[in-house]
Amino acid sequence: MMNIEFSFIIVDDSELDCYVTKKFLELTNDNVIVKPFHNANDALKFIQKNDSGIGTFPTIILLDLQMPGMTGFNFVEEFEKLSTAIQENYIVIILTVLSFTSDPNNIQRILRYRVVNSVIEKPLTQEKLLELLNQVS
Amino acid sequence: MDEKIKILYVDDEPENLVGFKASLRLDYQIITATSVPEGISCLNNHPDIRIIFCDQRMPGKTGVDFFEDIRVSHPLPVRIMLTAYTDVESIIDAINKGNIFRFVKKPWTETDIVLAIEEANKFYMATSMLAIKNKELQAAYDELTKFAYSVSHDIRGPLVGVLGGINLAGLIDNVAEMRDLLAVMKIAVIKLDTYALSMHDYYTLQKGLLKITAIDFNAVIDAMKTMYSLTSKANNVDFKINVEQDEVFVSDKITLKIIIGNLLSNAFKYQDKTKTNKLVELRVEVNNGMATIYVTDTGIGIVESHLGEIFNLFFRSNSTEVGSGIGLYNVKNALFKLNGEIQVNSVLNEGTTFKVTIPSL
Repeated sequence: MMNIEFSFIIVDDSELDCYVTKKFLELTNDNVIVKPFHNANDALKFIQKNDSGIGTFPTIILLDLQMPGMTGFNFVEEFEKLSTAIQENYIVIILTVLSFTSDPNNIQRILRYRVVNSVIEKPLTQEKLLELLNQVS
Repeated sequence: MDEKIKILYVDDEPENLVGFKASLRLDYQIITATSVPEGISCLNNHPDIRIIFCDQRMPGKTGVDFFEDIRVSHPLPVRIMLTAYTDVESIIDAINKGNIFRFVKKPWTETDIVLAIEEANKFYMATSMLAIKNKELQAAYDELTKFAYSVSHDIRGPLVGVLGGINLAGLIDNVAEMRDLLAVMKIAVIKLDTYALSMHDYYTLQKGLLKITAIDFNAVIDAMKTMYSLTSKANNVDFKINVEQDEVFVSDKITLKIIIGNLLSNAFKYQDKTKTNKLVELRVEVNNGMATIYVTDTGIGIVESHLGEIFNLFFRSNSTEVGSGIGLYNVKNALFKLNGEIQVNSVLNEGTTFKVTIPSL
């Protein structure tokens, strides 16, 4: 697992959450590229430019749901409009404070999007991260 | 009484209308109609009609029909039926369908009518007070719903962020890295604290009584200056203060501080970090019992389409620097208490000026 070059895009308006997620990824993997965005719009533009992903492995997008301006829902909707060639190079994982118990409606709503792979509930822990990496590799 | 109670009387016999009007017009404002459609148009033209008298026996529609027709469209006026005979059927009908307050038997005496009007007016006042109270309750309930949403999102978000930071700290051995993490966590905790403080302002404004004293604007601002001078230095923002007060100004100090404090805090918070000459200017002029306060910044500005909404609870105009959405709402409520007004002038990417006018109390 350590040899695979994982690459990540973090989309989260919270500076703290971006920092924590990035650090977690860097401390859990030796070989990793992490690109954080505080704004979903900027992330989308970046993806359009880097249509083949940013690593050798499909790039994992860790997406927050509740953001001012373009929300996670808006982002997923726009992402599904991109060409399948681009979409195939990315995996969308939702990283949110919302949970099945606290907000089942929004979680069910986001899981209905084809491109959404799974949902991870904040706060991030090393166990959650390792489980995710096992699942996608 | 400042204004006469407005009363509508509907009767198909003009002589009844004339008699009614003649004996009551001195004490009440009487509007008359000879048919149901005319009565309805009177109600539309005078939404402040409090009491309706109607004859039961009319060609076409009866009084009961009339009251039934207007039950939904004009629910507020109190209805009184005039009837020449004790027709039990029509009385039961009227009560069930027309929402009748009471009956007056024909031929009526002036005493009967005046008594009916006075009672109906009391009933009207009680019901409309209830409607106002209901409206206030609904507004409070809506606010509560917004607060519940805010607690789950605005408070839980940063808290879970801090928790994530604590989880991450377990993996960090390097002291420098740990310090970096703590610095980012600190920002989140300060944001939470700011949120809690604006909640306290909200509570103060909702519950607190005004404490009226003579205000020395220089002293009020001096007390706040220290805090903002630090922000000013840390963020490289020039801070200018100019107070012109030659007369006594009477107001509530705490409420004034909430107004000035929130405007200043926004002016510093929403600066354009890319600009070299950053400025926040506070100007106070007291003239002829009126204080005018200007807070001007060279910040990012507000999109014109948002200007109407910035004073709403939990409204946030900006996407990068996340505020609590309570500050300007508190300013609006504070100004309401002091009978003041606020105007905003903003140019995107250039800056914003808030102009506040407050009368001496």
